Order: sequence, then structure tokens, then C-alpha cells
Amino acid sequence: MKRIVLAAFGVVALAMAMLTPAFAQSKGTVYYLVPTLLDEFQTGSVSALEMFLKQTGYEMKTLNADNKTDAQQSQMNDVIALKPAAIVLAAVDFNALKPSIEAAMAAGIPVVEFDRQITSTPSAFTSVAGTVEIGYVAAEQAEKLLKAKNGSVKGKILQVLGDPGDPYTLDIQKGFEEKMKASPDVTIVSLPAMQWEASNAGTIVADQLVANPDIDLIFSHAAHLSVAAVASLESAGKKPGDIMMMSSNGAPVGLDLIRKGWLNVEVEQPLYAQAAAVAMFMDKIVNKQEIKPGEYDVLHLKSTVTNEAWGPNIKIPGAAIDKSNVDNPAFWGNMKPPTETIKAVE
Amino acid sequence: MNPRTRKILEIVLDNLVWFMLLFVLIVFSIFIPNYFQLGIFANIIEASSVLGVMSIGLALVIIAGHMDLSVESVAALAAMAVGILFCSAGIGFGIKLYPEWLMVPVSLLVAVAVGGLIGFFNGFLVVKLKMSAFIITLASYIWVRGLVLAVSGGRSAQDLAPAIRWLGIQRLLGLPLTAWIAIACFVVFSAVMAKTPFGRHLKMIGGNETATYRAGIRVTRNLVIAFMLAGAIAGLAGWLLAIRTSGATANLGVGLLFNAFAAVVIGGVSLKGGVGSLPGVYAGVLLLSSINTAINLMGLPANFTQVVHGLLVLAAVLLDTFKQNLRQRLA
Repeated sequence: MKRIVLAAFGVVALAMAMLTPAFAQSKGTVYYLVPTLLDEFQTGSVSALEMFLKQTGYEMKTLNADNKTDAQQSQMNDVIALKPAAIVLAAVDFNALKPSIEAAMAAGIPVVEFDRQITSTPSAFTSVAGTVEIGYVAAEQAEKLLKAKNGSVKGKILQVLGDPGDPYTLDIQKGFEEKMKASPDVTIVSLPAMQWEASNAGTIVADQLVANPDIDLIFSHAAHLSVAAVASLESAGKKPGDIMMMSSNGAPVGLDLIRKGWLNVEVEQPLYAQAAAVAMFMDKIVNKQEIKPGEYDVLHLKSTVTNEAWGPNIKIPGAAIDKSNVDNPAFWGNMKPPTETIKAVE
Repeated sequence: MNPRTRKILEIVLDNLVWFMLLFVLIVFSIFIPNYFQLGIFANIIEASSVLGVMSIGLALVIIAGHMDLSVESVAALAAMAVGILFCSAGIGFGIKLYPEWLMVPVSLLVAVAVGGLIGFFNGFLVVKLKMSAFIITLASYIWVRGLVLAVSGGRSAQDLAPAIRWLGIQRLLGLPLTAWIAIACFVVFSAVMAKTPFGRHLKMIGGNETATYRAGIRVTRNLVIAFMLAGAIAGLAGWLLAIRTSGATANLGVGLLFNAFAAVVIGGVSLKGGVGSLPGVYAGVLLLSSINTAINLMGLPANFTQVVHGLLVLAAVLLDTFKQNLRQRLA
């Protein structure tokens, strides 16, 4: 027994010794505060950030807030005490995290806003596709689809939002409806799928198919909601193409629905490029060097860095995915992470 | 009050939740455009199938004087297990069995077994080790949802095998077969509760556990069975959920627990145990589903729907309290 315990300790000691050189090579630890792991975009962002940050010499640790603002605030406080090289934050609530960001920045820890832009306080860097802009792209696609079907931009759209307490979905709605105002012949019925839960979206679609049988287009704010919407359409005897469909975030399930003919367009969030941009600028962020405005090539996407009131901001364009380009491996929904190694911006 | 009036009043009170449902349906049909149509009523029944089945298991445990907070997560795990095994997209393995109809009983068995196992685990800890049902099932609510996340890696399983999905598409008298399965569950378990010694014993245990034990009834065994049944029925609800959404996501079923509690309470089941019937619970589920559908059709701004939902549920519960007070006065 004694020998077994000693052997076990020996193995652990050896493992620790092997780990030490790895730590020594790392430029530091970056904490990623992810809002939830119950969503494919977020789980994808964890692996993408981890991969790219490793390529630029950083170790990443992830904390999940389970969509709870207070939990994320506590995580921020805990992480500040650990003095990491940087914090990457995808905020649950855009405003509530402001004091925590200010506390981290005051403690000399740079905070990077990822995917969810916070404009009320300065951050070290912001990497977003822009949720309002996703709404704009979706509106352009909706106009195209309605015009192709009805001869002009007119018809009825069912917009299935995510949870009404989530600013992410409200921003997409804002962008979408703002653009669609230019088309007065389009009626938009907007309903929330509470807690982003798929069966809630299914129920909304089933009810609306009966109440508004003249719906031309269903726009869901996440691909997994479209899956439940398709299930309801199938139950109502509909076939692919009977009602046009569109969703946003570019998740794998959305791309599958395009291939099957159910979904016309998926508005992609450029997950890989958003994550790569964070890693490319991490040296400058950690060393508090100036990030120059201008155009940068991020995984072959032309991205623009601007100096905003809230700090340097890189905006990476979202793409519209349809049948013609659905197999492009650059889309994160195809689950083929880029093979090329990214380099830190000098 | 003459005996005839008293009898009529008692019938009304016994079935108050059904009258409430009827009242709500009439009001919504009059005031909400497009509400009054067969398709909408079919949707209400269809949408209540998952919540309804889950509420049966929860009601059994509450009638027996305990509670089970894990049913929502158990349903999600069962749905994910079915999704991983029988979905062909996402993280699904796309397992095929021949003949294809075999996938229906096998997937059902998987879901019920997953639920039954967790139910047994809960029941064992609560009954044999005399631990608090609230704490044990709250822990299960958390770790089982965590397990869903762990096994799925946050990804989803989509495109359920057509042989299983058929149950959600095929209709009989305007309702999908999944809704008929939920109705059948209510009929069977209502009969079990009303006509079998097991059902009567559960009520007795919920009313007074010590007295029931002294009467020679095997309290421990019945309670463990009640927890196992609650888990297995939650597994069945998960199976229906996977069929309804053609797969499973890591957040599937989130929020169902509180709706199930609301349905059970509105349906006349006392949270103190010993009182309640399953037909009332079904009426409670239909009532909640009617309210949800009304909100879907009213086109309210998204920010207000939860407020309206909560207030309508509160109104239903207040009406139920009024019923209890009136009944006490009659007694």
C-alpha cells in the first residue's frame, strides 16, 4: 500500500515537473468570462479563443456565468484578485458589468470586450461583429427574399427573438426593425422565445401559423430556434420552401438546415475572425501599447480598427450564408477551424 | 343553503380549474383576434403535452408529501440521450435500427431508464437516508443539467430519426400522436391514483406519513417508487420534448419546472401533500398553455410578456385559494 501511494506521488510530481516548462513559456494567463455554455456560438468561442491565444503564447482559462449577471460580476472580482495578463469579457449584461470593467482597468488589468460591445466605459480592446449590424444584414437579406417572392418588398415576417432580457437579441431586433422601417409594406410580428429555449420557439411558430397563415418569412435570432421552428412547420404539413426562413449566428445546425432547403439565409457572426483578432492584438493589449487604427487582415477578412470613445474597436463584417456558399470552410458553423497560424500584430 | 344548491356548489368547486379553463378560453376567444379556431385549440393541447407529462410525475411526489425539483433537468438529460443516440446531425450518432419502428420503443426505453435511474437515486437519498427532498432534488436539478452540458459539450443534436419524429408529425383527429400520448398518460395515472392501492397509499402518506406507517403500509417502498416514477415520467417528457423539437439543445426545457409547479398548484394539488387529482393538474396545464398561446397571439411587446404571464398565473392561483376558503366554509 505504502509503495502504491509513493508511486502515485511520484507520478504526480513528475507530471508537475513536466508542466512547469509549459508555464514558463507562456506569456501569461488570460481569463475568458463566457456568458453561457448552453449555446453553440459560445462553446465555439471558448475553443477558438483558446486555440488562437495559445498560438500567440497565452494560456486561457474560462469561467462560465450561466447567463447570470451577478455571477459574472463575482467572477470579475475574483479574477481581478488573481491579476491575470488580461480579461476577455463577453458580458451577460452590457451595462451591469461597467463597474467591474472599470475596477479591472484601474487595477491595471486590460479588459477585452468580445462579441458584445460595451460603449459606456473604456476597454483595452473590443472585437465584435456588431449585434445591431447583424440586424442590418438580416434586414437586407429579408428585403431580397421578400422581393424575390412577392415582386416587391412587401409581406409578413415572424421575428422569433431570444430571451427578452438578453440585450444581444434586443440589439439584433433594433438593427433589423430600424432597417425594415424603410419598407412600410412589411408587417413584422415579433415574439420572444423565453430563455432562448427551442420548444418555446416551436410553440410560437405553431400558434402563428394558425393565426397568421400568410407569413412569408420566419426570422429566428439563433439557429437552434430555427430547428424547433422547422419541427413545427413539419408538424403543420409544410415542406422546405413553403415558408422562407432566416436566422442569425451561423451555428452548425443552421447550415444543416440550409443544405436541407429549409433555411434560406443564415447571418453569420465571424466567430473565428473575432477570436483571432483578440489573439493578434493580445501582446499590444497586455503591454499597453497603442493599437493603430486602420484596416487589418484577420483570417482573410478585411477588418477595421477604429479609435472609439470606449477604446480601440475592431469590427469584422458578418456574412450572409445561403445555398451558394454554405460549404465555405471559413464559416465557423462548418466546424473546420483555420489551419493557418495567426501572428501577433507588431 | 339547501342540499341541492350545496351539491351544485361542491361540483363547481371540485372542478373549478376546468371552469376556469372554460372561462379563460371564452374570454380569449372573444377578445383576442384569431384565437377562436380549432387549429389554436389543437396547438394548446399539443403545446401542453411535455409540460403535462412532466407535471404528472411532479404531482405524484407532491401528493406523497415531498417534492422533486429535478424533473426539468432529468427531462433535458433524457432528451439529450435520445438526441445523441438517434439524431443524425450535430453531435448525434445517428444510430439506425431495423426495422425502423424499433427505434421508437428503444428510444423511449432509454429516456425512461435515464429518468428512472435518477429518480431512484433521489428517492433512495430522500427516503432511505432521510435527507431533505428539497435539497437532494435541488442538487439533482443542478448536477443533471451540468451533465447535459458535459455530455453535449454545449452543442446540439439535430435531425431526429424520421421513425421517431413521425410521432410528432402524424395526426389523429387533428392532434399529433405526442399529444395523445400525454392524454393517455393522464388517463392511466389518474386511474392509478384513484383506483389502485398504490395511489391511495400515496395520498395517505402525503396526508400523514406516521399514521400510514402505523397502519402497516410500506411507506418507504411506496415513496421510493413515487420518486422513481417521477424520474421515469420526466424521462418520458424529455422523449416527447426531443420529438417535438426534432433533437436536443443543452438548454432544452429550461423554465419548465416552474410552469410544472404552477400547473400542479393551479390543478388543486396541495403543496403540503395528501390532496389533489391528476385530471385537475391536466386542466392546470391546459390553462397555462392557453395563457401562453394568448400571449403569443396578442403581439405584446417582448418585454411585457413575462409580466403578463406571471400576473395571469397569480390570478389563477388566487382563484384557487378562494376556492379552498369557500370549501372550508361549506364543510
